[in-house]
Amino acid sequence: MNKETFTELNKRKWRGASLLMSLAIFLIIWEGLVRLLDLPAFILPAPSQVAERWLRALADGSLLYHSAATLLEVLSGLLSGVVLASLLGYALAKSRLLEKVLQPFLVASQAIPTVAIAPLLVIWFGAGISSKVLICALTVFFPVLVNTVVGLRAVPENLRDLMRSLRATRWQMLGMLELPAALPVLLGGLRIGATLSVIGAVVGELVGADRGLGFLINVGRGQYDTALVFVGVLTLVCLAVTLYSLVLWLEKRLLRWKMD
Amino acid sequence: MKTYWKNAVLLLLAGIGLNACAAKPSNSIRLPVGYIPNVQFAPLYMAIEKGFYREEGLEVEMDYNMETDSVALVGAGELQFAVVSGEQVLLGRAQGLPVVYVMAWYRDYPVGVAAKKEAGIRAPEDLRGKRIGIPGLYGASYIGLKALLNAGGLEEKDVHLDSIGYTQVESLADGLDEAVVIYVSNEPIKLRAEGYEVDVMVVSDHLSLVGNGLITNGNMLQEQPETVRAMLRATSKGIAYAASHPEEAFEICFKYVENLKNLTEEEQEVQRQVLKASIGMWQLQPVGYSDGQAWQNMQDLLLQMGLLEQALDLEVAFSNAYLPQE
Repeated sequence: MNKETFTELNKRKWRGASLLMSLAIFLIIWEGLVRLLDLPAFILPAPSQVAERWLRALADGSLLYHSAATLLEVLSGLLSGVVLASLLGYALAKSRLLEKVLQPFLVASQAIPTVAIAPLLVIWFGAGISSKVLICALTVFFPVLVNTVVGLRAVPENLRDLMRSLRATRWQMLGMLELPAALPVLLGGLRIGATLSVIGAVVGELVGADRGLGFLINVGRGQYDTALVFVGVLTLVCLAVTLYSLVLWLEKRLLRWKMD
Repeated sequence: MKTYWKNAVLLLLAGIGLNACAAKPSNSIRLPVGYIPNVQFAPLYMAIEKGFYREEGLEVEMDYNMETDSVALVGAGELQFAVVSGEQVLLGRAQGLPVVYVMAWYRDYPVGVAAKKEAGIRAPEDLRGKRIGIPGLYGASYIGLKALLNAGGLEEKDVHLDSIGYTQVESLADGLDEAVVIYVSNEPIKLRAEGYEVDVMVVSDHLSLVGNGLITNGNMLQEQPETVRAMLRATSKGIAYAASHPEEAFEICFKYVENLKNLTEEEQEVQRQVLKASIGMWQLQPVGYSDGQAWQNMQDLLLQMGLLEQALDLEVAFSNAYLPQE
């Protein structure tokens, strides 16, 4: 093992240890605050109470059930949002006219706060999974769209000329030049999309649902079970972080050929 | 390229078509209740669990969507029944929606105002100049508060209103508000369980108003009166049975109310008390009977608040004719 790898390994170990340490300190302060100020559980539950509720929800399968429901909405929304945004993004990147025509609508669609239209979407599409997937897809749509257009447009013109001089077909242009060249920016958009889609799904669930982590949070509020609200929120955080990390990993793998 | 787009469009149409094919049989009823699963819906859970609906040939599915515009959907014929508070019926009818209130579930309007004992707010007059937390300036809480202010000879400008969403318990506990508008069977129980001594002023002590009940539309009454009667028979049976068997009702709630079985002993006891307090407010003698005077009071209040512009024909807004005969 050469000197550089050894230092890398040490760095990672040190980073991991410091993360654990700061987490532990945070939990100690939280538990201490609750005990010192004698806060009632329904205002701020202690970490021990949250952990106990977390274990109970895990044990009876309800946490898995509701997490799976939210995850399904998130993944479906992410997939449909990304697919639609990429398709439209490709069309917009190719046609400046189309971009000019659609620009005002697209910007307007982004300007509408998701939280405000979620109730409308739930009224129109019901409280089932479709409204959540739609809200998710809408939340993810614009960032991915913008990144697609920017990424595709940023392909160096001289490389395009090269492909054209070799009589590349449109598909070859797309597959061999545009996609690989735009990939870093596209994946950046996917990173944003992954975390936003979790927000979209939960907003939909908070408005109207009978399953999912947002629903669980509502239930906790209604029964003054604030520990359950914490469990829901923390599970959502884990979900979002996991998705984000997955995209990071994907980025590392797909962009290995890029010499940095 | 052309075939690609053709296929995409076909797939999309197929998807829409499949969705439309999921039409429901007419005895399958989706019932919006306007809130998440809760022990207050015990009669409905009872009626589902013990087969009261099934005996009548009905299949009832609970809709917990808080944003369902129940009155609009029932009025438009999209839904057959819904559980709503009485004022929604008058407000809907004023918009031309042909909704009819066919069964009174609650006898007492469930709204009240709670305050810590030390604040000394025992009668409506005591609200003068006080900070009052209210979920929002709409809905049953707003109407209930107005009724109480009237009873104390006060106007809205004589008090300070805080829109606080559903954080009444925390607001009162932390002293952010001196009084909070609550549901009599809910927040006060939690407050007392947390060790706070509270005074609760109940709207129904001062004015009889129309609380939660079952609505349907004019079309149902014309074309499917038997379905309406069946629905009311089964639902009133559920209400009566839950009222006379509160322990069994609570047990059944474990199956239908998410997380109820995961609560601590104290938290479950709070929910037990919530059910008990709710039962105390139901219309039981006879079950489902609507009181004409309460409707008149409700209309007068809405007119005074400017929520109704003109008086409606109350005779057609509600009906006792479809209730099970004793």
